[in-house]
Amino acid sequence: MADPFRRLPVMALMCMLLGTIVMVYPYAYVVGSSFKSRREFAEDKSGLIPPRYQIGEHLKHGRGEPSALDWPGADWSLFRNYTDAIRYGRVDRYLANSFIYAVVITTIQLFINVLAAYAFARMRFPGRDALFMFLLATMMIPSAVQLIPNFLVIRELGLVDTVWGVFVPGFAGAFGIFLLRQSFLNIPSDLEHAARIDGCGSWGILWHVILPLSKPVLITLGLFTFMGAWNMFEWPLVVLSNQDYYPLTVGLSFFRQESGADWPRIFAAGVMGAAPLIVLFLIAQRYLVGGISLSGMKT
Amino acid sequence: MAVSLRQKLVPYAYIAPAMGITVVFSVVSMGISFYASFHDYDAFVGASAFVGLDNYRRALLEPDSYFWLSMRNTMFYVAMSVVGVLITALPLALVCQRIRKGQALFRTLYFLPSITPGVVLALVFFHIFGIWGGLLDSAATALPALAILGVWSGAGYNMVIFLAGLADIPQHLYDAAKVDGANRWHQFRHITIPMLRNTLVFVTVMTIISAFQVFTSVYIMTNGGPERSTEVITFTIFINAFSIAGQMGFASAAAWLLFAVIFVFVFIQMRIFKSRNVYDG
Repeated sequence: MADPFRRLPVMALMCMLLGTIVMVYPYAYVVGSSFKSRREFAEDKSGLIPPRYQIGEHLKHGRGEPSALDWPGADWSLFRNYTDAIRYGRVDRYLANSFIYAVVITTIQLFINVLAAYAFARMRFPGRDALFMFLLATMMIPSAVQLIPNFLVIRELGLVDTVWGVFVPGFAGAFGIFLLRQSFLNIPSDLEHAARIDGCGSWGILWHVILPLSKPVLITLGLFTFMGAWNMFEWPLVVLSNQDYYPLTVGLSFFRQESGADWPRIFAAGVMGAAPLIVLFLIAQRYLVGGISLSGMKT
Repeated sequence: MAVSLRQKLVPYAYIAPAMGITVVFSVVSMGISFYASFHDYDAFVGASAFVGLDNYRRALLEPDSYFWLSMRNTMFYVAMSVVGVLITALPLALVCQRIRKGQALFRTLYFLPSITPGVVLALVFFHIFGIWGGLLDSAATALPALAILGVWSGAGYNMVIFLAGLADIPQHLYDAAKVDGANRWHQFRHITIPMLRNTLVFVTVMTIISAFQVFTSVYIMTNGGPERSTEVITFTIFINAFSIAGQMGFASAAAWLLFAVIFVFVFIQMRIFKSRNVYDG
């Protein structure tokens, strides 16, 4: 526990606080800007507080001088851009789509991965190790390299521009199988034998013995899968052309071109897209921070 | 003791869905793209003429395919990312480790970018870089600016990995070094760094692999410009595959070449992956 910073806790704290400013500033910027009117953003691109809420502008206004309170949009409510983004930008639709993609992919992938991991961890069958090595080998293909091949498959299957095209490649993940298998291997086989004597088949053992003992890894993996699916961008971007199916990420990139760069409104949409994951992260972070260090899993 | 055929097939039934999807979306898909890379191929029409190695030849030998230009940009981006991550995440972890109270709070705050959609971050930094004097408007600064975004958003994630590595270093090594009169620099140089070697390699390789695949920030913020200075390889592949008619074959060839380059690093990563006890309960 010794390093150049030993006995300098105050310095350490200062450094981390300084870093915190660097980390938090973009978030403050996007939230602050999402409350600005168009005119306010045009006049003051860098400020964190919308001019119509600044005391200085109110004082100027009180003295009868020209101020931000004379600009169009000065009467806007705080969340005007948010309601506009939903009313005119269909952000509610995109958010619902993102939610559906993330929930469906997470649920089905967890289910399929659990089945495979269970067989690989707890059963003996010819070819088991070779098949498992094959699964691990597929993890070597980087996602950027897989983009075009997967698109070609989706095209052959006639799933371009359908929600199934977005879903299907996410229904299994070698990494998840690997992680679950490690966890299942650690469960004592005595429990399995006891259950077998009580008349449990392999299906019953999976549901009544293995899964109840694997809750932490299931939650960790589920959260990572959910976050990955919520944040996915390139894949839905190439699969979809019908706006009705866009997840929020693709909607945002499209929104940017569509609305004549009404940036405060885009920022409002961005905040709405980022907030659910941040809330989820804050609630569930004990499962996540442990998960990162054990895996090198990239969100 | 006759085990019925049905019994024998049970394990295969459990693995069938996962194997099926994996085979289709790795073996079959890579097979199709390998096939496409030897053909004139259109994203929406399909394959037409067999052209042999022509797509590969164009990528490697014709400057107007922009393969090497985008590879060079990618390499610069990768190099800046690796340096950036090492000079931010490791010092952050060393500093963060010193903090007793509130360490969890800092970890949470620094980790936020990892759970924020990359599209949102790109849209925000598009403006922040604009405020900072138009970093994205000049061919000299646009790519470094994108690398700054990449390093910023990965700093907390990598810091957490370094913190885990630091926590694994046995305290008695430092105690022994102190008895021998080692000062703090010597302890850092001769204990922390060697003991952190695996973590360092791991973080470096992970950073290289993900930096090679940078796409979202380029697509949202610069579209490859100005003057193609931020045209990275994934962007070149994307444009050829989906925006230019009939160039899917070329894009597939370029993707296979990218795979060959990344594979070296992936291979190293898998070696580390295997040697680490990845799940510790």
